[in-house]
Amino acid sequence: MGVYLKRMLLLMSLFCCSTSAWGAEIHGRSSTQFMFFQNDLLERRQATVAEYLRIAITNIDKDGKFNIYGYGRGHQDFNAGEGGGMRLYYLYGDYRNLFDKIDFRIGRQFVNLAAGSAIIDGAQVTLKNVGPVAFTVLGGRDVIFGETGELGDGTNTALGLAANLEGFQKTDLELSWFRKYDLGDIARDQLGGAFKQYLFNSVRLYGNARYDLVTETFNEVQAGVKYFPTARLIFTGEWFQSYPTFDTTSIYSVFAVDRYQEALFRVDYTINEMFSVNGGYTREFFEDDDAANVYHVGVGVRPIEPLRVNVEYDNRQGYNGSLSGVMVDAAYDLNGKAELAGGFTYDAYQRDSLTNEEIARRYWLGGKYKLAKNMAVSGRIQNDVNVHYEENVSGRLVFDYDF
Amino acid sequence: MKKFCFLMFIGVLSVLYVQQAAAQKQSHKDYADMKLSECNECHKGEGIAPNHDADWVRGHRTVASRAGHNCGECHKQSFCLDCHSGGGIDAKLETDAARLNYIPKSHRSDFISIHPIKALDNPQSCTRCHDQKYCNECHGRFPKGGMRIRSHLMGATGIDSSKFGDHAIEARRNLQSCASCHPDGDVCIQCHSSGQVRPHPKSWKAGNFRERTDGKVCRKCHLPGTY
Repeated sequence: MGVYLKRMLLLMSLFCCSTSAWGAEIHGRSSTQFMFFQNDLLERRQATVAEYLRIAITNIDKDGKFNIYGYGRGHQDFNAGEGGGMRLYYLYGDYRNLFDKIDFRIGRQFVNLAAGSAIIDGAQVTLKNVGPVAFTVLGGRDVIFGETGELGDGTNTALGLAANLEGFQKTDLELSWFRKYDLGDIARDQLGGAFKQYLFNSVRLYGNARYDLVTETFNEVQAGVKYFPTARLIFTGEWFQSYPTFDTTSIYSVFAVDRYQEALFRVDYTINEMFSVNGGYTREFFEDDDAANVYHVGVGVRPIEPLRVNVEYDNRQGYNGSLSGVMVDAAYDLNGKAELAGGFTYDAYQRDSLTNEEIARRYWLGGKYKLAKNMAVSGRIQNDVNVHYEENVSGRLVFDYDF
Repeated sequence: MKKFCFLMFIGVLSVLYVQQAAAQKQSHKDYADMKLSECNECHKGEGIAPNHDADWVRGHRTVASRAGHNCGECHKQSFCLDCHSGGGIDAKLETDAARLNYIPKSHRSDFISIHPIKALDNPQSCTRCHDQKYCNECHGRFPKGGMRIRSHLMGATGIDSSKFGDHAIEARRNLQSCASCHPDGDVCIQCHSSGQVRPHPKSWKAGNFRERTDGKVCRKCHLPGTY
């Protein structure tokens, strides 16, 4: 991690030096957080201080075309022996509208194509305004995060190509190709497609597919329709299927798998500013006639302007266990400067007939106070009561500073 | 006459469609601070579905696809990565983030116990944010037979053979869970290597694997030159 970070910072500093100083502006957020919790991996309680920093350096050049964005975290544990660490989420230079036709980004960045997504240390170039289709090419080292550090190495790389329609208000179409390398071998080789079409001012058709070139199967297909007769009422119907696939470097990539399918129907209705409801049903299909039913109901209430309450209920019954639970969140804005919040979760679940029904509960309280327009302190404390813990208290205290 | 009417109908539809489709997308930068309810009224007026509704977490994949995506006009990449790659700089009070990585709402209450159920509500959902190696970090610490899986129940002298037959169904439906404890598949190839029980699907494309891995994955079970 350290080597890559140094290289990245060196690269970015060269970029900065190569641009003329034009009164660049630096904006961002610093979030200093103290957190205490039970680390289940280490089986110890942990007290950690973390510093999150997100920056945007803009107006570097005369026309404001080149900007730099970064986001990272450093943390230090004080009592569980985990030590400290850093995570760089992204740090990239973004140059827009070169000759009004080319956008490029260089550095660590999140890239997302219909065929695959990744965080890469590399570059992404988009050619646009050359007709109804824009083209993108991207590639670099594939960054894989674990719970605390990075899991990948220099042999993990990713490449992608995409073509997408541009300039159409009601039609979106993307076709892309995405490849990942691991230890010099091609670990993933996928084609992807995404499609959206708006019709009759009240219908959205959409689809998404990934085709695995190694196994020659569609490992994901999604197709749906949204019908919205008003801005407050949305009906959704959707079908999804998948064949799980693995990196070719894994022995599991050669094993046969079953197809998974699901059909979903849901309704979202915002009755007025005070009341909204949503409900849905999903039928999950496994092979050999096994199935599961998932029901969901949600209610949002705002009886007075400063108070909002959300209640969600889920019920899953069928193959691979049952889960029934409710989540309640409430927040009260005291005077525009202070906010109080709290909630609880109650879940009853049973994995299969061999196990008993078990119950998990969570209770939490939180508060936030704005010290100034660009400064706020907040805190949250929660207690988990479940099969593992009679009491598991965790929390965080945060100081946010925007600049 | 019928053909003519049909062609006219198609022609009119095409003209209407092109007029509608060719209208340019609008920049959203100026609207970044507006209330979502105001966004939705305008979206409806333009024939665009409200897309920040209560179904957003489940359905944002198509909205965020490369074609027509304009997420970046209001959101920074940290908005995506706090969920997809663990962060917490913008954690709201209701967000469970009492550890380094922001925990999405889908990871409800005692997720350590519940995740085996949730992992089968679409077996691909975990890998959208987690690499397989992420699972191994924790599952690799369990002692042999430590997982409560039907086919792995222990009898007096080891795994209960009467239950072990279920492992084929379990594995085909959720092979990721096998990989989470046996990342190298060493126990699988004891029975599924060359000349024993064939693990491949019916439409097996051996050549594709040979080309892409130079036969490395094949040689885990087959002798060189036999695959």
